[in-house]
Parts: sequence; structure tokens; C-alpha cells
Amino acid sequence: MTSARIFFIGGLMSYRALFGWMNPWIFVPSLLVSPVCQILLFAYIGRSAGVGTDEFYVIGNALNYAAIPCMFAMTFTIGGERFGQTLGLVLATPARRIPLFLGRSMPVIANGWFVAMFGVVVGSLLLDVDIPASAWPLMALVVAVGSLASTGLGLVMGAINLVYRDGATMGNVLFLVLLIFTGTNVALDDLPDWMAAVGRCLPLTHAIEATRMLADGATWGAVRGLVGTELVIGLVYLAVGLGAIRLFERLSRTGATLDRI
Amino acid sequence: MPLTERPAVEARDLRRTFRTKQGVLRPTRKTVEAVKGVSFEIAPGELFGLLGPNGAGKTTTIKMLITLLIPTSGSASVLGHDVVADVREVRRRIGYVFGGDRGLYERLSGLDNLRYFSELYGVPPREQKARIGSLLELVGLTGREGERVEGYSRGMRQRLHIARGLLHDPDVFFLDEPSIGIDPVGARELRATIAGLREQGKTVLLTTHYMFEADELCDRIAVIRSGEIVAEGTPGELKGLVSAGRVLEVETYGVADGVVETSRTLGGVRSVVVEDRGQVQVLVVSCEPGAEVTQAVLGQLGDTRVGRVSHRDPTLEDAYVELVTR
Repeated sequence: MTSARIFFIGGLMSYRALFGWMNPWIFVPSLLVSPVCQILLFAYIGRSAGVGTDEFYVIGNALNYAAIPCMFAMTFTIGGERFGQTLGLVLATPARRIPLFLGRSMPVIANGWFVAMFGVVVGSLLLDVDIPASAWPLMALVVAVGSLASTGLGLVMGAINLVYRDGATMGNVLFLVLLIFTGTNVALDDLPDWMAAVGRCLPLTHAIEATRMLADGATWGAVRGLVGTELVIGLVYLAVGLGAIRLFERLSRTGATLDRI
Repeated sequence: MPLTERPAVEARDLRRTFRTKQGVLRPTRKTVEAVKGVSFEIAPGELFGLLGPNGAGKTTTIKMLITLLIPTSGSASVLGHDVVADVREVRRRIGYVFGGDRGLYERLSGLDNLRYFSELYGVPPREQKARIGSLLELVGLTGREGERVEGYSRGMRQRLHIARGLLHDPDVFFLDEPSIGIDPVGARELRATIAGLREQGKTVLLTTHYMFEADELCDRIAVIRSGEIVAEGTPGELKGLVSAGRVLEVETYGVADGVVETSRTLGGVRSVVVEDRGQVQVLVVSCEPGAEVTQAVLGQLGDTRVGRVSHRDPTLEDAYVELVTR
């Protein structure tokens, strides 16, 4: 019961506590306007170069932008606590770490899903992309799985914040890595083999591919494998993140790293 | 104080070393021994003070006791649970409060801060409302609990910290400089709250810079200097360390460089410090019993303008100053 309450109620309260500053004046331009701008940028580059379809860029960039809230917010759930000097107090509680930190991921996943879906919807409207109505429910599900996988990567980054106070800066680099390696704007088949291989180990790659296939009329059976792979990748990142939190929490106790803010 | 039952807190030869590295191309490594073999015991229900100057090792000692730092060597236990091996058991039984503005969720209300930590400490949902209500009453925040913490005064924040630390009804409470930066009225209320904890039978470890606070609240005090405990006893016993002598106070208007050092070398002088009191600087000289040093000290002051010269009995602060400046 305690762990369930920490997961659901604690997760939601900590999200309110850490992201109370996220008012509409910040949320709308940074998480709704920016992804649409990114979609338009790459769609018009594609049009002028005669490469790819608008649908390709809308789906790729909308899902890619889910990484912003997922990675940065998850990183901030630890980094922000550290800066506010609440992390030591949280870590001094007997709360189990798995529900404590996984609970924090739920609102983050929902946020990432909303941002990506907003990008797909608005991008489709602006660029007149025709996606069959029947595809939307499954696309929404796949986007949720992609958001979960991105959040897993964010949890790993958050764990690094336990020992390295500037861990959040890596997020900028990782976002670019995802932009290049996940097939967001260049299909994996057109990337060098080693880049495609790296991309297949990253979150979002399989979700982007599956979403594009669904938008083109593919059935659930055709994308099931891709979605399953994305889910496994996400769970692996979450597991690595939780393992890293356990390891780095111990290292923070031996190395006194939490004293540096 | 002889301990006849299992101590609530026990530290045995605790040591903690920090290693730091600076620079990338030519890194310089530094090793600092923050705590050098600290040992003490706190009886159940006792209010124990840990006094010492900044950097003496008080906070490091507390952080080891509350499981946030692992000792480099030595051992410690809280209510019989080892602070390294039985981490969760220790965390269930302790409350921890530190001084200062930070450590609260600014964008949440005081009530929501307490609700969140209630969840983390596993306070049963049915008990949360009543527990939080009584704690808000205890710390005098009833009626303000719905406001965001970012609008709280420093005193209100500190009282909220104390309420947070008491949510799970801990048996042992660690208070690390809780009154720092609080105005006199707030500090008095805080002392009343801390005294109330002792009346409830809680074991309290308190660190503070304010001697009158320690004198008023603590059953026993340990003075820590450069990572080592240099004295331990009741406030009365510590005062007794210097009570055989007298304290000379000389008001001056600008003490020249070197006067403190040369005065310390005078026969019969134990310690000399300078205190700023408004416009004047007061030379506080702790003397050996029977020593008459007034003329000699005044002689050291030379042309410095001198105000009132007086003698008084030593206080706990005099004992502290002598202990940490030896």
C-alpha cells in the first residue's frame, strides 16, 4: 500500500513540486510551438530538396520532440531536487526507491505523449497530411511507448545527477543524438550501418518507424514487433536507470557528492 | 551522564575523510579529515548538544548518523541499528532538520510539503490529516498551511521543517543549526518547540552556534574542534572548566593588529577573543584563578581608546571559546 501510494500520489505530488514553475507562458512556446517549428523546418527542407514526404517529417519530428520533456523532466526530478536541497531529505526517508522514482516518471510520460501527439496533429493540419482516422488510436499507443522509452533514458541521466551536478547538460547532446540516429529526418536505411546500429539501441527509433507504418495504413500485426522492441528498450533503460540510482546513491554516500549543488 | 540503558545514539571512533580534486590538466588532489575519531553516546530522551565552530565536523557527524554519509571508519548506531548496515531501519526512526532557507518545495503549500513527506515516511492515510493538523498546531502554522512556501518567512520555513521532521513520530531527532538566521522572537518559539520535544521523550541531537540556546536546552554538550571532541559534559560542567577563573572585558574603539596575539602570551591569560558590540569592540580575556592581568592587558592596548573595563563570572560561551581556541 505504501509503495503504491508513493508511486501514484507521491509521483504526482513530486511532479507538482518540481514543475510548479511550468505555467502556460513557458509550456506553450517551449513544448508546443517549438516542436511545430522543428516539424516545419525539416518538412520544408525536405520539400525543397525533394526528399521524403511531409508525413515522414511530421511523425519523425513530433515523436523526436517527446524526448525534450521526457529526458529533461526526468533528469530534473533528481537534478532539481539536488539544486533545491530537498534531495538529501528525500533520500533520508525509508521510501523504496523503485516506486519513488518510477512514480515520478508517470506524469513525465504523459507530458511527452501529449507533446508528441500535439505535434503530429498540428503538423498534419498545417502540412495537409492525410492520416486515416482508424490509425490514430494505435498511433497514440505507440507514441506512449516511445515516451516511456525516452523517459527511461531520462532516468539514466537523472541518476548521473546523483554524482555529477551538471548531468543535465548532457541532455542537449543526447537530444541531437536522437535527432540524428533515430531516423527522425533521415531513414535508418540511408544512414551508415554503424549509425543505424546505434539508432536501433536508442529509444524512439522503433516507435517512429511503427507510427509511420500505421499512418500509411499498416495493421497492428505489422508493427507489433517494432512496438515490442521499443517497449523492451524502454524497460531496459528504466532498469538501467534504477540500477544506476542504486549504485550512484551509494557512491554519493561514500563520495559526499550531494553536498555539491 | 552514566548510561544505564542502551543508548539511543552511539558513535564509536567515527572518522570521515573527504577527497577533492581540482583542475583537469594538472589536477591537484586534497584530502581533508573532517571528523577524526568522534565517540559519544546519547541516552534515550536526552537532549544532546554538539557545539563547534564552522568546519569543525558537526554536520558531517550528523550526516553519518542519518545515513547520508558512510563513515570512512568507525561505527555508529541509532536505537541499536547500524547506520551503514541497517539503513532503512535507521531512516524509519529518525527525523532530520537542518537550518536555512532551502530544503522545501517552494511551489507547494506548506500542507502539501507535509503531505508529500507523509507519503515518503509511510504515514497511514487515515492518520495523515490528524497528524499534520496537530503538527501545524505545534509549530504555530495553523491557518497558513494553504499558502505556497515561497511566501513563508525564514522562521515559518524553519517551523515547517520541524513539522516535516516529526511527521512519522521519530524516536530520535537530529537538528542541525535549526535557529540559524531566525529573528529573536522566532528563535524563542523554536526553542520552546525543541524543549517540547524533550518533554515528549524524544531523543534530540542539536547543533547550534548560540551558547545561550545550548545552555537553556541541552542536558549534555560535546564541543567539537577540528573534527575532534575536546570536551563533553553538562552545561554546568563545561562552565566549570573555566569557572575557577574570571573574565575581563575591555571596551575599545578599534583594537590594533597583534593585540590579541600578544595578550594571549601574558601570564595568567587563558584565552583572548574580540567581540563586536555595536560601535565598540570588546576584548574578552579569560584569566587563571587569582591572576591580575588588567594592567598588563591595558598596557598592550597602548594608545587605543578604551571604554568600560569590567570583570564577570565565566559563561558557557567563555568555556566554548576557550575550548575551541586552545
